[in-house]
Amino acid sequence: MPKQLPKILAIFLIAYYVLISWLLRRHGFEHSSELFYSEKLFLLFNASQNTILTLGFTFPTTVFLSSLLFVPLGYLFAPIAASIVTMALLFYLLIDEFENHSQFPWKLFVPIIFLIFLLHPMFVFAAIMGREKAIIALVAFLIFRSFFRYYRQPVTYHIAMASIYIGCFIFSNFEFVWVVLTFFPFIFLISLEGMLIARNESPLFQYYESLNNRSQRRKLANRTASLYLIIFLLPLMAVVLFRSLNAQFAGSATYFLDSQYANWKITGNQIKGYVDFNVGRDNYIYQTQIVIQGFILFLTPLYIAALVLFRGKLYELFTILAMMLYFSFLILSYKFVLTLGYYLLFIPIALVSICYYGTSKYSVKKASWIFAVSSILTIVMGYYFFKHSDSEEEKSFSKEMGSIYTYWQGPRLFSESEMVAHYISGIATDENKILIDDASAYPIVVHIGNLKGIVLPHQKTFITIVENPSKFVKYMLIAKETNPTQNLTVLNEFNLIKFKTEKNLKVLLMYETKNWLIYQIEK
Amino acid sequence: MPVSALDNMVSVGLFDSNKLKEIEIIANEFNYSYIKTALNFGFLTRKKYVAFLEQEGFELVAVREEEMDEQYIVQCELIELNSILYAPLRKMSDGSLLVAAADPQDEKLKTLLLLRFKMPIRFVAASDLDITWLIHIKRGEYFVKEAVFSLMRKDPEQSGLVTFTDPQLITIFGGIAILVILLFISFIKVAMYLNVIFSVAFFFTILFKLYLSFNGSKAEMKEMVNKAEVKALSENTLPIYTILLPVYKEDKLIRKLIWNLRSLDYPRGKLDVKLLIEEDDDKTLNAVRNLDFPANFETIVVPFHMPKTKPKACNYGLHFCRGEYLAIYDAEDVPDSDQLKKCVVLFRKLPAEFVVLQGALNYFNKNENILTRMFTLEYTYWFDYMLPGLMSLDIPIPLGGTSNHFKFDKLMELGGWDPFNVTEDADLGVRVFEKGFKVGVVNSTTLEEANNEPFNWIRQRSRWIKGYMQTTLVHMRNPARLISRIGWRGFLGFNFFIAGTSITFLLYPLLLAFLLVYAIVKLTFVATLFPDWVLYIATFNLVAGNTMMIYVNMLSVFKRRYYELIMFAALNPLYWIMHSIAAYKGLWQLIYKPFYWEKTNHGLTKISSSAAPTEPVL
Repeated sequence: MPKQLPKILAIFLIAYYVLISWLLRRHGFEHSSELFYSEKLFLLFNASQNTILTLGFTFPTTVFLSSLLFVPLGYLFAPIAASIVTMALLFYLLIDEFENHSQFPWKLFVPIIFLIFLLHPMFVFAAIMGREKAIIALVAFLIFRSFFRYYRQPVTYHIAMASIYIGCFIFSNFEFVWVVLTFFPFIFLISLEGMLIARNESPLFQYYESLNNRSQRRKLANRTASLYLIIFLLPLMAVVLFRSLNAQFAGSATYFLDSQYANWKITGNQIKGYVDFNVGRDNYIYQTQIVIQGFILFLTPLYIAALVLFRGKLYELFTILAMMLYFSFLILSYKFVLTLGYYLLFIPIALVSICYYGTSKYSVKKASWIFAVSSILTIVMGYYFFKHSDSEEEKSFSKEMGSIYTYWQGPRLFSESEMVAHYISGIATDENKILIDDASAYPIVVHIGNLKGIVLPHQKTFITIVENPSKFVKYMLIAKETNPTQNLTVLNEFNLIKFKTEKNLKVLLMYETKNWLIYQIEK
Repeated sequence: MPVSALDNMVSVGLFDSNKLKEIEIIANEFNYSYIKTALNFGFLTRKKYVAFLEQEGFELVAVREEEMDEQYIVQCELIELNSILYAPLRKMSDGSLLVAAADPQDEKLKTLLLLRFKMPIRFVAASDLDITWLIHIKRGEYFVKEAVFSLMRKDPEQSGLVTFTDPQLITIFGGIAILVILLFISFIKVAMYLNVIFSVAFFFTILFKLYLSFNGSKAEMKEMVNKAEVKALSENTLPIYTILLPVYKEDKLIRKLIWNLRSLDYPRGKLDVKLLIEEDDDKTLNAVRNLDFPANFETIVVPFHMPKTKPKACNYGLHFCRGEYLAIYDAEDVPDSDQLKKCVVLFRKLPAEFVVLQGALNYFNKNENILTRMFTLEYTYWFDYMLPGLMSLDIPIPLGGTSNHFKFDKLMELGGWDPFNVTEDADLGVRVFEKGFKVGVVNSTTLEEANNEPFNWIRQRSRWIKGYMQTTLVHMRNPARLISRIGWRGFLGFNFFIAGTSITFLLYPLLLAFLLVYAIVKLTFVATLFPDWVLYIATFNLVAGNTMMIYVNMLSVFKRRYYELIMFAALNPLYWIMHSIAAYKGLWQLIYKPFYWEKTNHGLTKISSSAAPTEPVL
């Protein structure tokens, strides 16, 4: 393979994703999570109070901190740049891994992987949305790569790296903390494999001998505990520390999970269109398949290919299946329906599995066919499922992408948040301040672009001002009843009525959009 | 054909003629007398030899108590006296010169002395050990002064004789004065920034250790020397290998020592083992004398001179070494049997700039008690992960006391060890880098005895930490020069790893006390005194730092499959409190008794060194 090819293709991918994000933005398409992180970055560098909460507890930490690196490109673009670069990095690392650890010819795997990154809607969606999906896909790849490398060469380094990546995994999506349970089967099997005696006998006899020997059993317990601790100690201690810091400084151990100021998901789950109420819809039905999620197999034919091509030890098979087990476990108690983006990580996991085990059963030629066909099917199924997604955002993305090639023409369209922000920029001054709650209005705050004349919750006087707005501010931004996040902010229509009746607040409507109202307070 | 006691022993059937031939070859190579070779290379026991002499009519005289006219001994070189083992005592009334000799039947020696002193020679038999003691006391003054002052004379900047230089004292006291003034001006602000600086320093030092461990764990993927390479080594091409064994009052370990040396896979004729005994250490000398089996080492007696330290003894021993390579072990050490051969292979493989190799150290009594378990975890991550990590990053490696293998000529070029530094090994490791050479890490293990007694442990550790402080002070006398010699990376690595180690132990109790007061006891004044961000950083750094250290400890169990120790890694925060006690003791000693050598008692374990495997299992 030409040495520079992966780099060139990765750079091409970056340019491709940047172009798409520019075209979508030109058409007024924005993702709320990208705006959430943009606003936090904006506050971090522009607000003087409560920066510890912003820097320390904005969650997912990995997304926020990776976006931090791209702030010089602008607050609005930083999260998108981070996810674009993350996806390009994933592509580069995948190619590198195939080049160094698989027997597939580069003329096969380079175009296949490139096409997946180029055409698969979930990859494009993850790259340009500035969400945690890109980093989760990358980290999932790194975790499984570390495990597979460990199986080939059992040195501490790989297992320690897996531990760090699992830490990143959890800090990209807190639900991943439950891999602590779903990884157990293969960790136990790894330990058992190391303990097997009578290796010339049948596997069953080997297991029998190993488990029925007191000294071996003790060693097995010690080894399992050691592996378990070395894999999970760092991530779990990081969680414990993070929770205790939350408790100490934010007043609640789960502040990073529950607060709409720290975690986009709180508002994001509302924006996603109440999918949990649409029980009859497709995704929900897919996720009732708890024991074996056939849906995942259909969504990711590459994963089927990985299993078909696999030949190896039992613990290696269980490693490949571990995330499937995790998803079965997760949906038992998860109160929201998982969007398709959640399942993106199965593709890099399938690819890295194919990289390591793809040619262990069949000839390279036969395996190449299976790999190629399953990859094309994966792209096709990606389109199919994306088109039928329950998620409002995935659907709207799908719709936007349908005619994206026309977006470079015509006037630039503005999103609702941008229009509200423009209006506020025109009226807010140090003398005539506006009260905004960025729990729900973060897209507007980031578009305003400065804090001049704006009163926000990170300011210690915010509560006092909310209690008595007429004394301190001239305007209020109110979330309308139709705003999906209106119940997460104190400045909503319901409370406005209360202010009017209880505090005799007199207001005059100045500006109105689909989700927002701007009032002037009459003194 | 010269006649000697051994020839006579052969003739009466008390000694094997084939062994004599072997002795002849070794004696010629080392330029030793036959009897010295026979007694020091494991051919003959002292008891058997004394019995033969008595049978021949030679009663051993107590040569150390004999009257001596020093005008005769001053005409003889110590190297020669030590090689042949004789000591001219005095002129007798019959005009002959009375000479104490280990071999009173050595005709070659008689001829030599006859020519030198031009008078008849009368031999009396004396114990080779007593002769050794006597000749080193009488003629060792020059060598011992060289051992003490050579480095200081050649390179005073590198000598630890002066603990604090004037600029360092000015900096330290100036710093303290400024701090006190600032505290008076704004106590809260200064306390706040100190807190942040301390906790950040603590955190980053540990983070650096974690980074090193990760880098070092990569080294597992590549074996420095494999078994095939050792096997391919031709014995004829092996060079003479010197082993220095500095001991002090280790009489209980002498038997073990012999067995450990015997297990080394190296031709005995090419093994130049020196047991370095202090002048006043009759206990060890007598233990050697009373051995029931042949000794495979040569005893060197180090004349008294302050400071009474291990590096001084080693420097003294250097004058009598014959090897191309030199290794240093402690008396209780059990090196891997192929360690010397591995080092020969590795020295030949690595570029010429690698002049020292460090073997991994570990413990044979790891499961004796909690302390030995913690110590084992610590040594395992230190030698199996951190040192390879330092090597991979090209950062100065503090050598680890024993199992250091040197190219002899380069060691001499470096000036040997600093006798005023109580961790002379760490200091030498840095000096190696400063002089443009490199330290390598060899994949071979030496098992030692882990300290199993807390007070003994604190004594040992206080010396180590004091030595690290000394090493920091010596090499940081001129930071700009240090940077120019070892580069920025080496400079930062040195400060994080060697200076940082002492500092973290000193800071640890302060930070821990702060956390206890703030988070556990919840004294409200702390929260009112410090802003949130300071408390956040302090809490995060201490908890994260401790977690990382626990993790580093846990990592260490993998390479050697010490899985049963993993839970003990959780005790690391308590283990660090012991480190802190030792650090403060070391700091106190650095000021009041900088050259005092805290002796570690060995031989306290009840575990046999033969019980543990040494090869790490991958």
